[in-house]
Amino acid sequence: MSMNFLCIGISHTSAPLEIREKVWMSADEIKEALLRLKEKYFDEAMLVSTCNRTELYGITPDTQVDDAVFKQFLIDFKKVNGDVRPEHFYGRFSGGAVNHLFKVAAGIDSLVIGDIQILNQVKEAFTLAGQVGMLGPILNRLMQATMHVGKRVRTETAICEGAVSVSYAAVELATKIFADLSKKSVLLIGAGETGELTLKHLLAKGIGMVKIANRTRSHAEALMAKLEVNGEVVDYDVLNEAIRTADIVITSVNSPSYVVQPSHVQKVMKQRSNNPLFIIDIGVPRNVDPSCNRVENVFVYDMDSLSAVVDKNIERRKAEIPKVTTIIREEMVEFFKWHNSLQVGPTIHELTEALEAIRQQEVEKNINRFKPEDRELVELVTKRIVNKILHQPITNLRNGTNNGARESETVNRIKALRELFGIGMQKPS
Amino acid sequence: MELVTLVDVFVVGMPVLYGLLVTAYAIAFFTSAPRIERWKTPLLLVTVLLHISYIGIRTAAFDHPPITTIYEIMTMLAACIAIAYAYIELRTKASLSVEGPIGAAGQAGNTGMFILGLAFIFQTVSSLYIKDLTEIAAVLRSRLLGLHVSAALLGYTAISLSAVFGFLYLMLYHEIKSSRFGVIYSRLPNLEMLERMSSRAEVFGFIMLSVAIVVGLVWLPRAFEEFSYWDPKLVGTISIWVLYAISLAAKRALGWQGRRMMILSLIAFGIVFLSMTVINVYLSGFHTFY
Repeated sequence: MSMNFLCIGISHTSAPLEIREKVWMSADEIKEALLRLKEKYFDEAMLVSTCNRTELYGITPDTQVDDAVFKQFLIDFKKVNGDVRPEHFYGRFSGGAVNHLFKVAAGIDSLVIGDIQILNQVKEAFTLAGQVGMLGPILNRLMQATMHVGKRVRTETAICEGAVSVSYAAVELATKIFADLSKKSVLLIGAGETGELTLKHLLAKGIGMVKIANRTRSHAEALMAKLEVNGEVVDYDVLNEAIRTADIVITSVNSPSYVVQPSHVQKVMKQRSNNPLFIIDIGVPRNVDPSCNRVENVFVYDMDSLSAVVDKNIERRKAEIPKVTTIIREEMVEFFKWHNSLQVGPTIHELTEALEAIRQQEVEKNINRFKPEDRELVELVTKRIVNKILHQPITNLRNGTNNGARESETVNRIKALRELFGIGMQKPS
Repeated sequence: MELVTLVDVFVVGMPVLYGLLVTAYAIAFFTSAPRIERWKTPLLLVTVLLHISYIGIRTAAFDHPPITTIYEIMTMLAACIAIAYAYIELRTKASLSVEGPIGAAGQAGNTGMFILGLAFIFQTVSSLYIKDLTEIAAVLRSRLLGLHVSAALLGYTAISLSAVFGFLYLMLYHEIKSSRFGVIYSRLPNLEMLERMSSRAEVFGFIMLSVAIVVGLVWLPRAFEEFSYWDPKLVGTISIWVLYAISLAAKRALGWQGRRMMILSLIAFGIVFLSMTVINVYLSGFHTFY
């Protein structure tokens, strides 16, 4: 494949965070960089930049361009010479670059396998490139193919399924217990980052009612204000009462002993006529006596069990990678099929032209040997001969692409044809 | 006599068709292979249509609707279960796009393997023992019987569904309690929804069974001279009814819900199943007419 498509990038596989941060580009920077590259090197190019990766994809008219040039370009552009070195980058070419782009879009090159956001970020990158006129026919087609990979991977595999963070795992469990979170209420006891994050995820899922309790009442009030929700701050002394009316309880208290005891829970469950209660204990050490899980319709999860859920989900996602790779392979075949079909037309055209040139040359050279009244006939006959010679090979070549004959076969034919007839090579002077 | 030959084809064909259907749903459940995901619902609809045709042809061939013996009833029950499930799946599928991949409603379609499995069992038992009856007892040509059977069929269908949902609830409950997540966890709707579907089906089934029992009690003394209120089938049916009544009362009065209710629902269904099979087959009661 003779496509001069290349990819130069930096990601979690090649450089630590503090290096990656330095190369990160805003939308404006991306546009500027693309414009500069357009002047110098590329016909078509695209730049994607997230907190985990910055990658430049482009098609050069010149086969000889070294990827070192682009590594240096990115370093110079960000003015981070010295801190970031060319070794922090990797380069991929032609089919390898397409494969890499598909892998990125599919989320299997991400730090967290199956990252959902990356596909949108790649889409945005293509849009940006389009805004500065860097999306030519090939990148345009590649964009469609990339989006198709992303869509197929998400619908046909489970690569994005299962929560891969503790807070999200808790929320996912909640959706497996309760049907409609907007009719449920959550009680957060204590503070802490994970507790807050879990609460935020629940709010994003549309939880109906929020209550926060803290030993220091002002902390609870501050958090409520920060989250900008209409909730209720509950007195720490009347916890049992608050638990009674909550469906989900998140505990994140710094306490040496259990804050929630089985006897409490049993009593509360009777009062709430056995409505299911989901307790998320993210305190370390634990805030909830694990034997509370034995009470009917009570589900207790602590940090350990949530982490176990996350680990299992990551394993499960990893197990989906072969399926994703298959999809990528299929889509690559499709893409190159299209790309190769681009080559058939020009090759036929050039071949016809080359033979016509020979014919004209020979006719011109020898035309004087014929009588003036025969000259028109000579022209006609030679044209016919050339056409007849070309007819079969051209038909076969066209049919090869139309019938979807083996792609590699068509590629080989084109290659052989070009070589044998010297098409597209510099003419010997 | 061609119709009878056709009936024979169906008798053999229907269990095979249900077997294929359950296999397709099982493969879809465990592997979510896209090709099978696409074909399972059309296959379900074809099965339902063929089943309805079978019932129609059978009625024409033997000059009575297949509601006079337990094995005729069983194929009707299988058809009702399949139709009820097709309804659930088609209705919840529409909401799939709205709710997204974690959307619980969309996953109701994933319960197919279990519900259709029950239809498969009923159809197989029916096909194994069903007889070509052209002459039926005069006592069975009664309008009240039609009402009785219709109500009983709806009731049995509903409590079968209730039991399947209850069973799935218990499996999911166990997985969440023990934090061991398998296919059940990732493919089933949430606990609350399973419980709701189970108890709704149970209430509906209870009402329908009540109707069937009342109609039966009106009809029986008229139809049979030797009728006794101590008939094992009648005692069985009434005790099932009482069991359901108690469990529904317990839900109201004692606030029972979740696991305990689902266990009760399963036990009740187990007794129903036993009474349908064991009592009908081994103890001669009024439901055996031949």
